Amino acid sequence: MSTTDTAERLAAGNSFSVDVWVTLKRWLKKAVRNASIVFEALLSPFIFLILFTQVFGKLAGGPIQDLFGADINYITFLTPAIIIVTAMTVAIQSGTGLIQDMDSGMFEKILVSPTHRGAIFLGKALADVLRIAFQSAIVLVLGYLLLWIGSGGSVGPYIQTGLGGVLGIFAIVIVYSLWFTAFSIIIALVTQDIESASIWMYMTHYPLLFSSSAFLPISFLPEWMQVLATVNPVTYGVDALRALMLGQDVLSVINVTAFSGIWNTIVPAIVLLGVLDIVLGGIAAVLLHRVSSSQVD
Amino acid sequence: MVTESTETPTTCTTAITANNVELTYADGTHAVRGIDLEIPRGECFGFLGPNGAGKTSAIKTFVTLLEPTGGSVTVNGYDVVTDSRAVRSSIGYMAQETSIDTELTARENIQFACEMYGVPRSKRAERIDDLLALVDLVDVADKQPSDFSGGMKKRLDIATALVHEPQLVFLDEPTTGLDPRARNRLWEYFRAINRQGTTLFLTTQYLAEADELCDRLSVIQDGKLVATDSPDALKSQVGGDILELTIEGSTADHRAHAQRVARESGVFADCTIETTDEGIAIASEHARREGTDLLVALRDAGLTVTGFDVRSPTLDDVFLAITGTRDVPVNSQTQSGNIDERSLGNSRAQPEALAQDEGDR
Repeated sequence: MSTTDTAERLAAGNSFSVDVWVTLKRWLKKAVRNASIVFEALLSPFIFLILFTQVFGKLAGGPIQDLFGADINYITFLTPAIIIVTAMTVAIQSGTGLIQDMDSGMFEKILVSPTHRGAIFLGKALADVLRIAFQSAIVLVLGYLLLWIGSGGSVGPYIQTGLGGVLGIFAIVIVYSLWFTAFSIIIALVTQDIESASIWMYMTHYPLLFSSSAFLPISFLPEWMQVLATVNPVTYGVDALRALMLGQDVLSVINVTAFSGIWNTIVPAIVLLGVLDIVLGGIAAVLLHRVSSSQVD
Repeated sequence: MVTESTETPTTCTTAITANNVELTYADGTHAVRGIDLEIPRGECFGFLGPNGAGKTSAIKTFVTLLEPTGGSVTVNGYDVVTDSRAVRSSIGYMAQETSIDTELTARENIQFACEMYGVPRSKRAERIDDLLALVDLVDVADKQPSDFSGGMKKRLDIATALVHEPQLVFLDEPTTGLDPRARNRLWEYFRAINRQGTTLFLTTQYLAEADELCDRLSVIQDGKLVATDSPDALKSQVGGDILELTIEGSTADHRAHAQRVARESGVFADCTIETTDEGIAIASEHARREGTDLLVALRDAGLTVTGFDVRSPTLDDVFLAITGTRDVPVNSQTQSGNIDERSLGNSRAQPEALAQDEGDR
């Protein structure tokens, strides 16, 4: 038998969905393999939760009980914010991972293979979504554990909206992550350099977090920051998650009353984040298409 | 599709056909200016040229990474623009920069390539073991390649390009930056792959490498092919080996004197005799045997020879013979091809340093 016959049979290429799966598997394997990513995934939410609850817990505990009810602990208030922090960290790594692939030549190697172009990015996006969902689950469990330890076993209300709320939390985290992942990819493709991309990402990441409802109720922020918080997507992501955790309409930057209860928070949040997803996702898609296209101009 | 052969009914006999291929980048750089090429199946073919000559740009149009802005290319019978996915399935490509995932083990790198090319699950394990054995990485198969030497990384890279038993493999400067031992080892693999019937297309800056591997090669300059022939035929255009002599206190008069002596010495009368910065250089097939006689003649003429070197022709010499100029116009990489056997292994990362070496010598 000739080599050519074997070649024809061996080089069949895959269907689109198999290409997605192959890409997805590689990114997950890399994430698990990369010690620093695993470490960060487990440790950073833990550190954030401990530090913030210890430092701000006493200070914010009282006002939070005044605002949201006597049975609401600062840990419960903070957990949605830490989920958002974690999701944003993964999103930052999404962009840097792409730059790494370009630097290492793996990106080009994949482009020369019969892998479908769209599958290259969909597979990576799905891997990131899975990581974000997984890490969100870790944060939810961590928050519960801290409450349990802090309260000596009597946790009280944690996720007020039950199992549907848990699924809702995952859904909102994913809707939230998309815009920031897209942003991270745009920065990555514009800078084409891991160091400058990281600087840009962290420079946006922290101001966004602190000028939002993430760590303290909006009313604690100075006036000018409250204005920022109104247009800050972090506020909407955190408030939507918090609405599901607390079972209350917690959105305080704009007053929506068209729906009932927690939907007055969730609907505007999803609309705003969805629009952001489409705009930034669209820009990212155009840029990705450009780098993977074989046309020189 | 050509269907003459009964054994390989679905394949054609030409690996690459290029018709007047052009590649102009968005910034107006004409990287490839009308290349015509026909490479039969099973051949080992090379592009020989300095940095910036258009080698990588040309190869990128052949492997579908860049669409030609003019002309057409057919690879394994498929058009690179309209049938790019079929082209990609049928070729292997090793980029100039080693491309491996250092977070995956050697085995996982090959496995990922197998999955990417759709090598059937039932054949995968065997294929991976075969390839690890082929490139001598069995012992480190389950290690991450971060600590591998440059040569080992290259070997892993080539293994991943072969998972699907491609009919045609592109190697873009496959040994640049490797030490001579690692280079020799890679050459062995390339020969083995070529013997199995795989067409090889490689680019190189080194005539020695093209000489070692290629059945035919094209000298590429400024995006154009200036000559296409067998390595021997190209070398013969230089006129043989190069004899370089350093003359003590070398002034223009000394050099002209030495040139005259050499010309009058009989055996070198018809050869190209150039004056260099330090003396003279003679290209002759008799350079090795008759060189010492010339030394005596020069001494008798009152000239002191302080340096004597006979070497094989380099890319620069071939360039000189074919184009009549040592001035390689693109990127002022004049010296990059003028690298002899001793410095072949030096890193590509420092082309300026190499050029410096050459200048200092």
